[in-house]
Amino acid sequence: MPEERLFGLDSQTLIQIGIQLLNGIILAVALGYILYKPVKEFLHKRSEGIQNKIDESDATMAKADELINEYNAKIKDIDEERIKILEAARAAAADESKIILEVAKQEANEIKKRSLESISADEKRLKEEARLYIVDLATHIAGKYIAKNMDDEAHDRIFEETLARMENTKWPK
Amino acid sequence: MDLNIANLWVINVGGVEIWITETIFNTWFIMLFLIVLAIIARIKLRNFKVIPKGFQNVVETIIEIFDNFATSSLGKKLSYIAPWFFMVFMFLLSSALFSVIGIRAPTADWATTFALALASLLLMFFMGLRHRKGSYLKSFFEPHFIFFPLNLIGELAKPVSLSFRLFGNMLSGTIILTLYYSLTPFFVQIGIPVFLHAFFDVIFGALQTYIFVILSLMYIKGAAD
Repeated sequence: MPEERLFGLDSQTLIQIGIQLLNGIILAVALGYILYKPVKEFLHKRSEGIQNKIDESDATMAKADELINEYNAKIKDIDEERIKILEAARAAAADESKIILEVAKQEANEIKKRSLESISADEKRLKEEARLYIVDLATHIAGKYIAKNMDDEAHDRIFEETLARMENTKWPK
Repeated sequence: MDLNIANLWVINVGGVEIWITETIFNTWFIMLFLIVLAIIARIKLRNFKVIPKGFQNVVETIIEIFDNFATSSLGKKLSYIAPWFFMVFMFLLSSALFSVIGIRAPTADWATTFALALASLLLMFFMGLRHRKGSYLKSFFEPHFIFFPLNLIGELAKPVSLSFRLFGNMLSGTIILTLYYSLTPFFVQIGIPVFLHAFFDVIFGALQTYIFVILSLMYIKGAAD
């Protein structure tokens, strides 16, 4: 067995360096393939996964913001639409009320006219009735008066006068 | 605890003697430990959750911290060589930590530190040629072609300085602890060495691991950029 030593510069040292270099290469390959690369890939995949989730969240947030803006715009549009509808309804109601008023006025006028006509007709009828009544009354009074005061002499005289007046009257041709 | 590196076996391959030293044996032991740990982590990876806890947290933290460190040091373009330095990082740190329980750190042997530094040098040349092509070779002749030997020595000195820095630091801890165990009576060898191991093995070990890895990364980035 060769002697123990601490340091030497000979062929054995070169062999030792070669062996240690080979050991280093074997260890590097083993650690690299068994541990370093797979763990790095795992970390990379996890980072990617987290990044994807963050991106997805950002995209969802952006979509949500877009929806909020869209709905805000819709609410604004609805407000405008509501105002427009209200204005249109008011205008339509005003038009309709005008028409209704016009129709009502016309109807009222018609009724008034008809009432006036009816009143006038009633008045005429009443006047006629009153006149007839007066005539009847006058005839009745005159009848009574004549029955009471007229004698045969007066009757004949009036008859003669009336007959004479009728003779003098010219008949229309 | 002995200061010298023991030879455990001698193998004869085609007439060439190969010494299986304590360093190589300990390296295999640490390799086995790390590979078993990696296999356990790999098996548990199947059940890893989105929200980590316990063992998953430890594994993820180690890989993520190292990957961020390597990517920030090398840049995205060169980060594909990070697995090599992950091995260097884990091996150096484990070597330092295992010496706490009396296993001689493989990094207290120059053959180990030089092998790792040589790999850094080879990677440096390879990355320089791959990413800068002609301009990397041209940089050896700048500012004037007569500077080529100096530039070449400067580049070759990098792994030597890297390896000796790590070797010296790890060996210094080993020497101090060996001296302490050899020279002190038995009753002071209980309790007190904990602090010495914590300082020389854990703190120095972690610091030297960081220095070795960051310098290697800087050399490679300097060559490739």
